Amino acid sequence: MVSLRLLGLLLLLALSLLVSLLVGGSTITPDAILRSLLQPGAHDDVTTIVWQLRMPRVVIAAIVGAALAIGGALLQGMLRNPLVDPYLTGVSAGAAAAIAIAVLAGIAAPYLPALGFVAGLLTAVLVAALARRGSGLDSNRLILAGISVSALFSAVITFAIVRSNSLSSAQSILAWLAGSIAGRGWRDLLFALPYLAIGVALALLAVPALDAMRVGDVRARAVGVNVDRAQWIILASTSFLAAAAVALAGMIGFIGLIVPHVARRIVGSSARALLPASALCGAALCALADAVARSIVAPSELPIGVLLAFIGVPAFLYLYLHQERPA
Amino acid sequence: MIALDGVAIGVAQRTLVSDIEAHIEPGEFVAVLGPNGVGKTTLLRAICGMRPVLHGAIALDGTPLRALSPNARARAIAFVTSDDAMIETLRVRDVVAIGRYPHHPWWEWRENADDDAAIERALRAVHLVAEAQRLFTTLSSGERQRVWIAMGLAQDTPVLLLDEPTSHLDVRVAHEILALLRALAREGRTVLCVLHDLNDAAAYADRLMLLGCERMLAFDVADRVLAPALIERAYGIAVSRVETPDGPRVFAAMQT
Repeated sequence: MVSLRLLGLLLLLALSLLVSLLVGGSTITPDAILRSLLQPGAHDDVTTIVWQLRMPRVVIAAIVGAALAIGGALLQGMLRNPLVDPYLTGVSAGAAAAIAIAVLAGIAAPYLPALGFVAGLLTAVLVAALARRGSGLDSNRLILAGISVSALFSAVITFAIVRSNSLSSAQSILAWLAGSIAGRGWRDLLFALPYLAIGVALALLAVPALDAMRVGDVRARAVGVNVDRAQWIILASTSFLAAAAVALAGMIGFIGLIVPHVARRIVGSSARALLPASALCGAALCALADAVARSIVAPSELPIGVLLAFIGVPAFLYLYLHQERPA
Repeated sequence: MIALDGVAIGVAQRTLVSDIEAHIEPGEFVAVLGPNGVGKTTLLRAICGMRPVLHGAIALDGTPLRALSPNARARAIAFVTSDDAMIETLRVRDVVAIGRYPHHPWWEWRENADDDAAIERALRAVHLVAEAQRLFTTLSSGERQRVWIAMGLAQDTPVLLLDEPTSHLDVRVAHEILALLRALAREGRTVLCVLHDLNDAAAYADRLMLLGCERMLAFDVADRVLAPALIERAYGIAVSRVETPDGPRVFAAMQT
């Protein structure tokens, strides 16, 4: 039953990737797009547009969505708190603050994603250090540290915007905060891929422990789970996934919060089904949202982060206010 | 056999009980008694390796507990706590299946035939086979308690530790659970159980371990442990003892 549902989600993802590929600034017929998909080596404009502009963007959107959704499912499961998202690690706030300062300092745009990635990970380390108790992590401390550090860096960002003496630097910071995949290509994906792979590998390592931790940390310890180690693995995994996603697409909110809720309704709470289901749902949603963001006010673009907040807030309220029913 | 040699337990370096000397045989049902806060739960957690001892050593069949990995320890000792946990969207069988965790290496996610058999046995032992697909949140307190015991049984361990398994339960369900533990001990499992009701302990357990005044006051059969002077020393309340066909029972004097 769960396998069938995962298969259904896989088909949904394939469909949304295809739809996302068909949407863009230039009007290309679906026929031409399908032809260029089958002949990637052809030297014509359509093939260039499909393989060098649309495809990397669609793939990046899907990967960012999957990474944030897995991160959200991991943290919600570890903390047994449905209201947390991967940005609780402080990754996004740290990255955004560093990028805001870098923009003010006049650092060239191509360096910003890497800078955001490093700053995001360093902030996650700071949050983890504050949340540490004994050899493990304290759930309440983690939430408190994540919220506090994020609030501090938000103030830094606001300060940077207020102090920016040119409209263009303020706009650069805001564009980054709004989240966008515009202008991203294969090279950006290649940079983020190793860290995404580390994040996913760590997530897979934590699956059995995460399943046992559903009945509480004490019972998980009683069945032999090294809860302290599992917590560190989950936090590291979430931090890598979130930092890579933030480096690729800026601040895209709500996917990490909402998608695990949707996935839980479809496949239940077992991590072995929830993580792939979250990844598939997150990828499909982000790819579709990017397609809408590109086409709704074409030829200009709506920031995907803003669009997802418009969809995300009502969806989250609906899901959370209606009692959860298991699969 | 569980051997406690000169064991001292405590919380944050504060000693709760010291100089515990006890050898618990396989197939024995031991009730751990004592006033609130004396260290009963801490002792169980120390025996299952979840909390370090302050002094002394605990050994399981001659192997020091510290030498066992968390997984190896969880294959030998199950710890059943009645603390409530927020559990959403979990069915009874899902909860019981978590008890199979120590029988799998980390890369093996799928349940195998041994798991199915152990889960089935555990559910049957606590009479919850018919409720296997029910949501945990829809169960009564007694049923939830039985699920936690089933999770411990699914661990398939020779030793079963239980922390107040009869608290919040009505008298019938409490006695059903005690009878189940008695039966498990007869099958050869070592059962160590924290209880508050002295008479229940006397009725079902082979030996009673009485903690109080920061030490183990007694570890013996009910006839010797349910001595009014000893009980008064542990709990600070006078009791009268009555002999019944089922053995001795004690009753606290009414406080005015």
